Amino acid sequence: MKGIRLVLACALALAAMNSRAIDFGSIINKAIDTGRQLSDANREVSTDEEVALGEGLAAGFLGAAPLRKDPNLQRYVNRVGKWLAMHSERPDLPWTFGVVDTETVNAFAMPGGTVLITYGLVKRLGNESELAGALAHEIAHVVKKHQLQAIQSDKNSEAFASLGKGLASEAIARRGSDPVGLKTWGANAGVELLKNGVFLRPLDRSMEYEADKLGVVIAARSGYDPYGLVAVLEMLAQTKSDGSGLSVLDTHPAPADRLAELEGFVPGVEGGVAQPQQVEARFRKVVGAAP
Amino acid sequence: MAAMRFTMMLAMLLAAAVPWLARAQDQGFTNRATELKERAAADSATLASLPENTPVKVLARGGGWTRVEANGKPGWVRVFHLRFPSTVESSTSGGGLAGLGSALGFGQSRNKQATLATTGIRGLSTEDVKNASPDPEQLRRMQSFRADRPSAERFAREAKLAESRIAAPSESGKGDSR
Repeated sequence: MKGIRLVLACALALAAMNSRAIDFGSIINKAIDTGRQLSDANREVSTDEEVALGEGLAAGFLGAAPLRKDPNLQRYVNRVGKWLAMHSERPDLPWTFGVVDTETVNAFAMPGGTVLITYGLVKRLGNESELAGALAHEIAHVVKKHQLQAIQSDKNSEAFASLGKGLASEAIARRGSDPVGLKTWGANAGVELLKNGVFLRPLDRSMEYEADKLGVVIAARSGYDPYGLVAVLEMLAQTKSDGSGLSVLDTHPAPADRLAELEGFVPGVEGGVAQPQQVEARFRKVVGAAP
Repeated sequence: MAAMRFTMMLAMLLAAAVPWLARAQDQGFTNRATELKERAAADSATLASLPENTPVKVLARGGGWTRVEANGKPGWVRVFHLRFPSTVESSTSGGGLAGLGSALGFGQSRNKQATLATTGIRGLSTEDVKNASPDPEQLRRMQSFRADRPSAERFAREAKLAESRIAAPSESGKGDSR
């Protein structure tokens, strides 16, 4: 009797494994395909894929640093961000902004229009034009697809080769269901890119300088004082890295170098704004009132 | 031998002290000969001529001008005419080069060392992010705060933010305008 039960259990297990193996086959192929497609530097990634990738990255990031529990602050930052993004070259992306609750000082742009800024940075800012300067720099990265380029670049190809495999094993470990409850494989690829560290690598200096300049222009087009970003860099020049590896001082060129790059540029933009605004009162009201 | 050991200890003490000196938040220097102005404007009265490397105390930052105190006298200096004590190195004595390396964009492998050596600062590390479990619920919450065009436009009007047409920087503007 005992023997029969054992055989039965084995048969059932085998049957279950078999049926699951079929599912895994298609899942693995899909995952490897996503990895291969993204790693092909010549392939144009569609906007939908870009957005999904960014959502996966953001979901992963939010797992480490949750949103600051202050709906007013979150709504405020989204309004500033949306107004800026409307004056960028990609106004129609689903722009989403979030303040994450960590002391680390930095901001992060995800492909497809998701931008995270740390509370550590927000509370060191003096007015809305400084917030606009920081957000516009990140918006410029998205407009120029800098993160996407970095993800697709040669130096990350090794990480990509393992991406398909990693996704597949993740899927197996979680019984083939969507591992993080996100809708698409693009989003899950984003999660994986965060885990293998590809996304956290600093961008090329030239990309940072380009984002600084385009960011200054986007802020100026939106009516803000074009010196907002300059003021942020001045503040950062007086700030020390916390040694975490994720501070803006770790992931970007030195503020003094960025200021030197902007010196010949900002005055040319300044003349294009009739009445540049710094907007201090409502910034103080929202950020100062943060719980 | 003892003298050598003493010199070494002194050098180590000095090295350890450097990050503390760099921590002075309000200390800056002029990076060229410049003028201390009465107001934050080029056409305002000149209060003093400041030679290169004049120490200044930063009182407030605002747009293209910074309010400082130079030789006991308050006034305004162009933000681009100031430099600040080097703060690029990581906050630990052992992590100096590692911090510099990553600030220059050379990867981050050595930062792990710096993270381990830093205590008492609650920040996010690369390891925290790599090891985190994705949180789709937080993602959805964040997306619920999105602003639409009409609300962004209303928000802009409240602060008198007027749109201007300004061309994007030329493609050649990749860091060569110094």
